[in-house]
Amino acid sequence: MTYRIDELMICRIAREVDASGVTVLGSFTPLAYASYMLAKMTHAPDAPLIGYNAIGMRPIELNLTSAEAAAYRGAAAHWTFIENTQTVHLGGRGLVECVSPAQMDGTGAFNTSVIGPYERPKVRLPGGTGSPEVVQNYEKIIAYFGSHTTRGLVEKVDFATGGRFPVSADARRKRGLLVGPVWIITPLGVLIKDSDEEGFRIESLHPGVDVAAVVENTGFELGVPDDIPETTVPTDEQLELLRNHIDPFGTSQFDFMDARSRAAYVDDILAREWARAEAMPDA
Amino acid sequence: MNKLVPLEELASFVPPGSLVGLGGAWLSNHPMAALRQLIRDGVGDLHLAETMGSMDIDMMIGAGLVSKVTFSMVSLEAFGLAPHFRRAGQDATIEITELTGLALNTAFEAGSRNIPFLPLASLGLSDIPDRQPEWYAKIDDPFTGIDLLAVKALRPDVALLHVRRANARGDCQYDGPMAIDPEMSRSARKVVVTCEEIVSDDVIEANPHMTKIPGFLVDAVIEAPFGAHPLTHVPVYGLDAWELRDYAAAAADPSTWQAYLTQLRSESEAEYRERVLPPDRRRVVRNLARAATTLDEATA
Repeated sequence: MTYRIDELMICRIAREVDASGVTVLGSFTPLAYASYMLAKMTHAPDAPLIGYNAIGMRPIELNLTSAEAAAYRGAAAHWTFIENTQTVHLGGRGLVECVSPAQMDGTGAFNTSVIGPYERPKVRLPGGTGSPEVVQNYEKIIAYFGSHTTRGLVEKVDFATGGRFPVSADARRKRGLLVGPVWIITPLGVLIKDSDEEGFRIESLHPGVDVAAVVENTGFELGVPDDIPETTVPTDEQLELLRNHIDPFGTSQFDFMDARSRAAYVDDILAREWARAEAMPDA
Repeated sequence: MNKLVPLEELASFVPPGSLVGLGGAWLSNHPMAALRQLIRDGVGDLHLAETMGSMDIDMMIGAGLVSKVTFSMVSLEAFGLAPHFRRAGQDATIEITELTGLALNTAFEAGSRNIPFLPLASLGLSDIPDRQPEWYAKIDDPFTGIDLLAVKALRPDVALLHVRRANARGDCQYDGPMAIDPEMSRSARKVVVTCEEIVSDDVIEANPHMTKIPGFLVDAVIEAPFGAHPLTHVPVYGLDAWELRDYAAAAADPSTWQAYLTQLRSESEAEYRERVLPPDRRRVVRNLARAATTLDEATA
């Protein structure tokens, strides 16, 4: 089956999710949510998942109005956000976390706070929630971008909301931190950083993408290995699950849209969600 | 002890200039009915503190009632950047104190324990600790010497929380998400809760494990059905995304925003519910809270 680029990215992220640690749905990162559900529905049914502080939630359909209600149905426990984050984030039990920043640079610093000077920014962004702590403490960190440009992958972020340091395995062990890399996943390829001595290098290229396009559209220096594999493409089974069950409204495409098309898309999704809820028999 | 008060008396617990902790997180459980009442009463110069805000903080900024926000995120998520928060941040019209999320949670926790700070592991490359020296200080672990961050305690003058049910004593139960409401209730000097329904002590005592805030922490209990609307209060109602979308559209333009505010100020909370939640909308948002099947059910 032909796949969309967001679907390929979802499948790449899903590979990192398993039952060796806890994965938590962070703040509005629909592409990541789809990845976690896909992992639960395929290779990692036992992966412990937390959404909205519903502990051990089941895999759910992604939508705009009732995903949270679904997460709470069938969860093993209801915790407060502090119980959850102390246990998982600070307690060294976090496996995979995705962030979707406005900017990231070659040190791994990311920005979800401001575009422009901090005191009088050009754009005041939402802020990072717990992402600075998460990025520091989890095992595997994935930053994803809906486009691969020098505006997002910059030489230096306008402001570092957060960023993992140290990254090197020895240094992290010494501090009692979980060991794992930082990845950047974009519509062109996958970049990885796993030591403090080196920056990001290309881990894989998506089908049809050449090295030059990646280097040219990256604002920081990039390691280019001699032999770069192609990113694995989605299977028919994965695509079927994503389109028909996990994300029938296509929320994972949000990160690939500008504000205007996103608004029109929201209208369309809401019309469909309304019709479905209206057609339900009363309780 | 009867702590029941009408919503109209909320302002007596929230003097102008108060540091107000807001319950809820993301698009859920924020004390929206309470905030609408503060807008009706024009209670201003507020310092709002909350880890994950959305329409709650944005609406209050838009109403001109906020002088300071302490937060780690304010966003309308799929419905865009929070328009008033964004403008206030860009134009520096209010004081913006951005903390990292778990540090802010830790600040509430330190407040709840009546100690001046709690330590947190260092934050890597984040610029936030250096940017907010009033809140973070570098300290050494007194046992190993490893560098840590001290996070200063935060004690709101009053916490505004929205819960599923409460009795007249103020024992509060949740059936769904509760953000950091229980911890915030312990850090605040006063706690005012709105609830979907007032129940008898028997109802509370039948399920004591659901009581997350005991009455001895609570100063006032206000009945406010749809008190988190248009945001969610699972499992009673899902997101009124249609109203949230209308809010975002109104907030985008000063003239439509003035009309939105004038409408809010001119009506009681009961009239608000009548206007914004006609029978079909009310039915849909209730159904949404139970519409979502989990995928193992759907594919079984």
